Amino acid sequence: MQLAKNESQPKTSLQALPISKPESRLYMSYISVAFISLLIGGLMGLLQVLVRSGKFTLPAGIDYYQVLTVHGVILGLVLTTYFIIGFHFSLMGKTVGISIKQRKIAWIAFWIMVVGTVMTAVTILYGEASVLYTFYAPLRAHPVFYIGLALVIVGSWIAGFVNWHQLKVWKKAHPGEKSPLLAFMVTINTAMWFICSLGVAVAVLVQFIPWSLGYAETINVLLSRTLFWYFGHPLVYFWLLPAYMAWYAIIPKIIGGKIFSDSLARLSFVLFLFFSIPVGFHHQLTEPGIDPTWKFIQVVLTFMVIIPSLMTAFSMFATFEITGRRKGAKGLFGWFKKLPWKDVRFLAPFIGMLAFIPGGAGGIINASHQMNALIHNTIWVTGHFHLTVATTVMLTFFGISYWLIPHLRGRKLTPQINRLGIIQAIVWTVGMTIMSGAMHIQGLLGAPRRSSYSEYGGGEQVSEWIGYQLAQAVGGTILFIGILLMVYIFIKLTFFAPKGEEEFPIAEEEDDAEETPAWFENWKLWIGITVALILAAYTVPVIDIVQHSPLGSVPFDFPIGR
Amino acid sequence: MRRQEDKKASEKDKPDLKGTFVSVMLLGIFIIITWVGAFALFVSR
Repeated sequence: MQLAKNESQPKTSLQALPISKPESRLYMSYISVAFISLLIGGLMGLLQVLVRSGKFTLPAGIDYYQVLTVHGVILGLVLTTYFIIGFHFSLMGKTVGISIKQRKIAWIAFWIMVVGTVMTAVTILYGEASVLYTFYAPLRAHPVFYIGLALVIVGSWIAGFVNWHQLKVWKKAHPGEKSPLLAFMVTINTAMWFICSLGVAVAVLVQFIPWSLGYAETINVLLSRTLFWYFGHPLVYFWLLPAYMAWYAIIPKIIGGKIFSDSLARLSFVLFLFFSIPVGFHHQLTEPGIDPTWKFIQVVLTFMVIIPSLMTAFSMFATFEITGRRKGAKGLFGWFKKLPWKDVRFLAPFIGMLAFIPGGAGGIINASHQMNALIHNTIWVTGHFHLTVATTVMLTFFGISYWLIPHLRGRKLTPQINRLGIIQAIVWTVGMTIMSGAMHIQGLLGAPRRSSYSEYGGGEQVSEWIGYQLAQAVGGTILFIGILLMVYIFIKLTFFAPKGEEEFPIAEEEDDAEETPAWFENWKLWIGITVALILAAYTVPVIDIVQHSPLGSVPFDFPIGR
Repeated sequence: MRRQEDKKASEKDKPDLKGTFVSVMLLGIFIIITWVGAFALFVSR
């Protein structure tokens, strides 16, 4: 009976496919752009914290907000998107395979994204687009900035379409079989990305580009911000879900365990698809012009995202405990000692998981409707997303890089690089604890985010802030050392590590695992519910915003020095 | 009798997740404490 079950449900390991050299080149190209971005964006971050310490002025007339825009765009949009697409492709290539034609289209996606990135970068470097990564109207950037961003999104869509096609081809060749867990997860993440980025694409194509070119005199600011946040919140889940892919399906293998539950992992991803998108209003809770009832509805939907997050936390603890006990751990927490603390492939993502505990708790505070006023537009928010994306997501991406890069390059993760990686993870943790901690506290004391150094006319409240800004400069400097270490490790793993074979760790299910229900493959149902939730949450308020908005705004160029 | 033995055997196969249970409870308490702390600050201002 057991044998029959196994025959009908092949294990993931049987599906692990070799990655050819041309495939490796594709995946490494995406990942390399991410690491170049890390260095540039990290340097910008260092400059920011130094300026905000009040002890340093930018040379050669470089504008603070230009530096801030580079930091946000290159780390929040470029690094993440390129790394994720490279990781997605490598997971799909490993589990369902990629054809030569699909690979060629993936290269087209890459080059479209590169052209878009270069266009955007040039406008920012020329000081024509210091509009920060949220590019809020009525600040107007050069049209090429928006066109470049649109190309990055179009390229990422093409990459997503290739991923869907990869799974479709595999399913045709394996009728009746459940899709490999990692391929299922990639499909969810790309579906979410496509649905949410339609919003920002509409804002850019219909609102920003005609307005920046002068064809439209005014822009509906509230609509543009609403479309941005329709995209902006799922964007953070687009960053987070690849980290969850590693947690659910790769970390168990690294620690010598099994997947806790294939069904639970799939269900949590389906729930993320449902509840990541119809929630953008929780970024606009202080915004006039949106009916409070609809804000409340989206707050409730936001709180639904806590369910799959806690499912993930439970699943991780359970994986660790079961594995530890199998290794002979005793007592309530004895299993904790059995985890491979000296393996950076585990340690870096594990610190990322820990950071998500305060990160998630802070997120619940941010989304708590009226209570949002406590932290809105304060540097608490910056501290929050430096915990979530810049620690949880980044340390997991670093953890992935330690095995993925040598695997793709035919090299080995040596004990020396592993040790350096552990030092890197510790440096990052220390730097981020200081910087993000100071940001959280300073935010609760009312300090604004985004702004350059100012004494604000010497108010009493302001004098409380400077100590925290100095702490951020210390933390930010330590983080930059962490970035230099990581870039060194990247170069070492890519070009200089000894030749050999590094494992692509994909965890398996337990031998007696419950069968995953077939209805998880019902994509029409998942997409249908997602669209229904979006329509329910957005239709009425968006009609209201379009019909009852005040007159649109003319462009403002002078605040950004254009 | 046999059914009881089967039951015992299946209970023995079940993983011991006491540590997980305590961990998620601690996680929940942490979330509640931070939220109540922020709420107290919000109300006091």
